[in-house]
Amino acid sequence: MLSRVAENLYWLGRYLERAENMARIAAVNYKASVEEHADDEDEAMLWDALVRAIGTQAAYAEARAVSPNLAPGEWLIFSRENPGSLRSTIARARGLARELREHISREVFEEINLLYLASNEADSTHGLRPYTATVQRGVAATFGLYDNTVLYDEGREWFRCGMYIERADMTSRTIDAKYYMLLPSLADVDGPLDRYRWLAILRSASAHEAFRKRYRGSIRGQRVAELLILDSSFPRSLRFCVSALGRHFGLATSGAPRMHSLPVTRELAILDLDLGSTGIAEIMRTGLHEFLGEFQGRINRVHNSTMSDILRALPASMP
Amino acid sequence: MSESSDLLRDYPLLAGPDEMFDRDGTVRAKYAQLASRLGRWSLDEYHARQAAADLDQLNGGVTFTVYQDDAGTERIFPFSLIPRVIDAEEWARLEAGLVQRVSALNRFLADVYTEQRCVRDGVVPVDVLGQSEGFNLRAVGFVPSLGVYAHIAGIDLIRDREGTYRVLEDNLRTPSGVSYVLENRRTMLNAVPDLFPAGSVAPVDDYPDRLLEMLIAVRPSSVSAEETRAVILTPGSQNSAYFEHSFLARQMGIELVEGRDLIVHDQRVYLRATTGLERVHVIYRRVDDDFLDPVAFRADSALGVAGLVDAYRSGQVTIVNAIGNGIADDKVVYRFIPDVIRYFLGEEPIIPNVDTWVGSQPADLAHMIEHLGDLVVKPANGSGGYGIVIGPQSTAAEIEEARDRVRRNPSGYIAQPLQEFSTIPTFNGTRLEPRRADLRPFVVTGASSWVLPGGLTRVASDPTSYIVNSSQGGGSKDTWVLRQGWEA
Repeated sequence: MLSRVAENLYWLGRYLERAENMARIAAVNYKASVEEHADDEDEAMLWDALVRAIGTQAAYAEARAVSPNLAPGEWLIFSRENPGSLRSTIARARGLARELREHISREVFEEINLLYLASNEADSTHGLRPYTATVQRGVAATFGLYDNTVLYDEGREWFRCGMYIERADMTSRTIDAKYYMLLPSLADVDGPLDRYRWLAILRSASAHEAFRKRYRGSIRGQRVAELLILDSSFPRSLRFCVSALGRHFGLATSGAPRMHSLPVTRELAILDLDLGSTGIAEIMRTGLHEFLGEFQGRINRVHNSTMSDILRALPASMP
Repeated sequence: MSESSDLLRDYPLLAGPDEMFDRDGTVRAKYAQLASRLGRWSLDEYHARQAAADLDQLNGGVTFTVYQDDAGTERIFPFSLIPRVIDAEEWARLEAGLVQRVSALNRFLADVYTEQRCVRDGVVPVDVLGQSEGFNLRAVGFVPSLGVYAHIAGIDLIRDREGTYRVLEDNLRTPSGVSYVLENRRTMLNAVPDLFPAGSVAPVDDYPDRLLEMLIAVRPSSVSAEETRAVILTPGSQNSAYFEHSFLARQMGIELVEGRDLIVHDQRVYLRATTGLERVHVIYRRVDDDFLDPVAFRADSALGVAGLVDAYRSGQVTIVNAIGNGIADDKVVYRFIPDVIRYFLGEEPIIPNVDTWVGSQPADLAHMIEHLGDLVVKPANGSGGYGIVIGPQSTAAEIEEARDRVRRNPSGYIAQPLQEFSTIPTFNGTRLEPRRADLRPFVVTGASSWVLPGGLTRVASDPTSYIVNSSQGGGSKDTWVLRQGWEA
């Protein structure tokens, strides 16, 4: 498979997954801001979590410096100027899909194209919900169609790699941003935190129902963290994502020169082992924020080596 | 025809003939069945069908890119539901004429870049070849696989005032539009399946298969058909015809590549794949000659592949269409193509040219100067409709000024009579009105030539316009070639 095509499929998976995560987090924020009659400061804090989750603090601060009244929701969701906004993310995914038309099915392209057309029309007159719902449905439909109409070949594996690495990254950032924001000091981890906010974290990761199935009793911070980090059967947990990523990466690179794929394969295997052999109490002891920071660093290294060693590698030698 | 709704009544004719209605306003036999089906439609029905067709194209991403427009850089072609209909007899003649013309053009190209017999024998004046921008030095002395240069030819036709099909121009470099032919048919089958006379319209969807067969047929002789790897080379997703490049790659199941995906080593071309380098044997390029290879042509080109032309000339890779075809679809050379057909094939041209006078030939120049008020004068090396003077629509002063320009630089101009070419009814939102239309059939040539039944019908944006280009707001239609035996 062409390296450029593989890379584009990988990014298509990443952008679609990112869009879905952003839409979900935004919907939870929106619900919170409507229901809690949050004052401006509260609302700003909620959006701040999303700004952190996407890692665009600097860009947002810059935009605020130019126009102080800039609403964070508007900037994160609808802005055409913000290259990281949800609308821009959808446009980028669609641009890639257009370049990848001969590698994805007509059904997949049309679904992404429909999402893009709807995204162009969307505005904030009726609040965020109609738009975020459209995005969530559109991305889910795209993933479903991808599984059922596209060949299970190398390209599909790269698409899945992109999807899972993005999901691992987003889940870890969501937990980190919310925990960090809600818990200024580690001593509070098992403190009497507003149960509503824990619910919001679970909802931000589509994990509320899964939590209820997994645990009896009330929603407590350590249990939420355990589900989102270590549960091997919850499809958004870090452990699930890492092990799926390892599997798809292995399939994607089965034909590639071993010397190229080995470092990433090794990193993923060790990460998977680490997650499998640690407990939530231990993570809490070392510090959740520290743990998540390290995790993000390792996931970043996987991404960077995938780019430099495989997708953008110069030919080792001419035949 | 029996029934006729308001839609079909009082159709206004223009100076040229209409494909659907004759001079008395009677529906022609080839449109009879379509008209009777269409006649049952109300205005609302027509609107609903048009909306369905437009949505089908928008959702399918059947778009072209508009360069000057920043916000919405993609648009759909305005699409019109009433097809161009060509009956079996008309088509048989066109098909023979197209094959004849492409065959002569290929012989001509091979001759121009090798022996130049046609110059020695006075068929095409040497100065005409010398002054053409299309003559490419990198093509001299090399004959491509099977002697084919114009693998894919798009020959633009019009029907004149007398109803005769004529060749308006040859497109032998990277003619585009075929994806719209296939997508238009798909849209028609989705939106108006009930308009189709069952089993009587020639299908078009075998084009990709024919194209792939040709690409394999013209492979380098050193490789077997089974091993042949063909790719499409595109300038990238910003190109106005990107949809088509991607469409064809998808339909043929071959890779769509950009210049940066290819590497030339030791005169062989390779793809950069995740698993290493993979050999490529045939490149269907949709990139102009100038941008193919920064070593051979423009050093500032970011699109090309360094060393590609060298690999081509060593016979290790076939480039489709060949390098240097611009000499054969040149506006001035066009004037001599009927003679080229007679010279190489010993036959009369089946489809005539539009009468053309070229300023570089003294007898032609005299005619141009004398009759300029009745002619359309065009620059010999221009495109996009710039610098055109339409004599019958110009003032005496404008004509005099044009005359001066031609006298000062005769070889820079050509002239043709104003063509009152045929119209096809097109729905304007409230009724049917005539729009001038041309036809671009596609001829695919490998071991032999094959003509896609029909072609791309392009229509002008309003009844006064003579310009059918999509960049000027023109639209397109489906083109139906009727099989034998379908009677009114």
